[in-house]
Amino acid sequence: MRRRLRQLLWVVAAAAAITGCGSTSDRPLRITLAALATKPAAASPSSPAQPQPRCSHLTASLRAPAVMPTPGAMPKGSFMKRIQRRHYLLAGVDQNTFLFGYFNPEHGRSEGFEIDLLRQIAKAIFGSPRAIQFRAVTPAQRIAAVQSGSVDIVADAVTITCERRQQVDFSTVYFDAGQKVLVPSNSTARSVKDLGGKRVCAAVGSTTIATLMTLTPRPIPYGVPQRTDCLVALQQGLVDAISSDDSILLGFEAQDPNTKIVGGQIAAEPYGMAISKAHPEFVRFVNGVLARMRADGSWRRLYAHWLGKATDAKTPAPPTAQYVR
Amino acid sequence: MEAHPVDGVARLRAQTRAAALWQRLRQRAMTTPGKLALVSTLVVAGALCFGVVATLAARSRADAAKAARTQTEPLLVQAVTLYGSLSDANATATTTFLTGGLEPPQRRSHYLRDLRLATGSLTTLTGEVSGSSEARVAVRTIGDQLPVYSGLVESARANNLQGFPVGAAYLRRASTLLTGKILPAANRLYTIEATRLGDDYRRGTSNGPLLAVAIAIALSLVTLIAAQIYVARVSRRILNVWMLLATLVILGVSVWAVVGLVGERNALIRAQRNGSDSVEVLTASRVLLSRAQSDQSLTLVSRGSDAISPADFDNVMTVLSPRGGMIGEVAPLAARAGRGQDAQRLAQEFADYRAQASRVIQVQKSGRIPEAIHLAVADAASPSSPAARLSFDLAAQTNAAQARFESQASDAASALSGLDIAIPALAVAAAILALVGLRHRASEYR
Repeated sequence: MRRRLRQLLWVVAAAAAITGCGSTSDRPLRITLAALATKPAAASPSSPAQPQPRCSHLTASLRAPAVMPTPGAMPKGSFMKRIQRRHYLLAGVDQNTFLFGYFNPEHGRSEGFEIDLLRQIAKAIFGSPRAIQFRAVTPAQRIAAVQSGSVDIVADAVTITCERRQQVDFSTVYFDAGQKVLVPSNSTARSVKDLGGKRVCAAVGSTTIATLMTLTPRPIPYGVPQRTDCLVALQQGLVDAISSDDSILLGFEAQDPNTKIVGGQIAAEPYGMAISKAHPEFVRFVNGVLARMRADGSWRRLYAHWLGKATDAKTPAPPTAQYVR
Repeated sequence: MEAHPVDGVARLRAQTRAAALWQRLRQRAMTTPGKLALVSTLVVAGALCFGVVATLAARSRADAAKAARTQTEPLLVQAVTLYGSLSDANATATTTFLTGGLEPPQRRSHYLRDLRLATGSLTTLTGEVSGSSEARVAVRTIGDQLPVYSGLVESARANNLQGFPVGAAYLRRASTLLTGKILPAANRLYTIEATRLGDDYRRGTSNGPLLAVAIAIALSLVTLIAAQIYVARVSRRILNVWMLLATLVILGVSVWAVVGLVGERNALIRAQRNGSDSVEVLTASRVLLSRAQSDQSLTLVSRGSDAISPADFDNVMTVLSPRGGMIGEVAPLAARAGRGQDAQRLAQEFADYRAQASRVIQVQKSGRIPEAIHLAVADAASPSSPAARLSFDLAAQTNAAQARFESQASDAASALSGLDIAIPALAVAAAILALVGLRHRASEYR
């Protein structure tokens, strides 16, 4: 019996000695799967629509200087001088609003109505409309971009509101937009009143969603991160209509002939260029450039060049400048 | 209940008969020929028990090694191809989009080749995953969503060709569909197949069969040797040639079985350590690299108005990092297989890629988006760009690791070849030899 036991132990010990030279491990697979499970970064949640504060003289801005400084010779100590020393103007724009402010892949540069307005400001500072760099900003980040100083100015279809005026300064109105709706051309809707209970797309962070919530009958807002995502949603049949400013809807209509803009303005959307409250002299300067463009017909020329084709309408008069006393 | 008197009598009779039989057997067993018959039974049982246990052990190990090589690993390769080519397709589609109207034909064919590879793998997997409902759902998801994805990519192209900004929105939607639905399904398939391979490894290298065989060897040898000692005492002859031969046969086949089982185990461990471990880590690196490329292109496509893609890019680069990330994991695995220089080259290529990517990011963040796009496009078009070299090398090293796996796994399977027939045949032969030897002794008492 003892011999048997000893023999058994011998065999087992020998087997263990031979086989003890390595083992399998799950570690590579475990770390592999953990690495692949890296979550996509999440989009920041949209803030709910706030009640709009009221204010008087909404579109009134600082008066333009009586005499504009000569291009290339900005007054000492002014913000324009700081821009001049940097050798370029830094402007926040939307690069996806067709014809208004967009990146043309064919030409490899930003183009559109707003872009040319901004180029005129660069020209007034440097004498050259090319001394400008564009930085893309989303509706959600554009006010913060001005406040933090990461851009000098934003011309990105920003509607002047009382709430925003508490955060940044605005130039005089450079475009009188209005909120309208775009529907497929076979839609029976004649205005936003026919869209109660229907899904209407708008960009998160824009005034559009807040306005939609106040309508009766109330449509169902469908929020997207960027405005152009709305056109995809409409073409994919995910929404029944897009609500946005006509400036933006005109670009959508130009990209998709199977759509139409219906109804009148739901809300007036006066566009101003957003500038930090720290630089009132720059606000006055920009207003001076805009005043000159209203007077010498260059505003009308730009409108006809960019938006005339899309609207077939007669070129309107430029919006009247209103100044604070 | 009262017992029937007749039943009681019958039972008594049966008991008496059984007792008488038992008595006879005991008496016979006390005689030398009876004892020899008992010893014969024990020896034959010992040899046959060894035969059965060793055959089953060898078969279970051989099945696992064969399954790993011929079923699980090929399916894992398909899952890897599916996962890798889908990821690469998106990276290619997004970077090609940046070139605008005139997309280089080789980028287009690269994208189409990726889609072809993906659908090919998907077809193979569709036929093979019938067992698992989770895998069926994943295959179905990919099959349903892939046409939607390619449709969105084509819409993006068509709009981009006309210079319409909505093309970028289509591309974002396509990419979101891929990363949100299709790639998670591909990941599930990959996880299922990789876990299955892990199970095969565990089955093919577990110590249970070896221990069972060791015990069976010990038992059969002990009975044989004890029988020979008994016979030698009874017959006063030291040597019984037949029984000695039986012992040698059992010893020989035992050594063969143990060597085979240990050899198979070690080959399978090498297959994992030098082969499939690297395949897994390299695959993950490749998938993550594609994700980083897509993120960077999408950042540029949205002209910087996209906060999600740059954040994701940063996350992915951290996970890939040579310090504590996936590229860092490649080195020790490659060193095991004697391919340390491959890992060094990979780390260098990754560093080049990261440097190039951060150049583009810097330019983009400074607001010079057209310049950043120009840089990224030039990079995407060149086959010698850091991204292209890294991507190509990852694919090549994955294939090399694949080949290492296959050669070791086939060694594992062949280590056991022949044993499934040899063990039962030789165990029976040993039993017969031992019986013949015992018969010779028993015949002396007739």
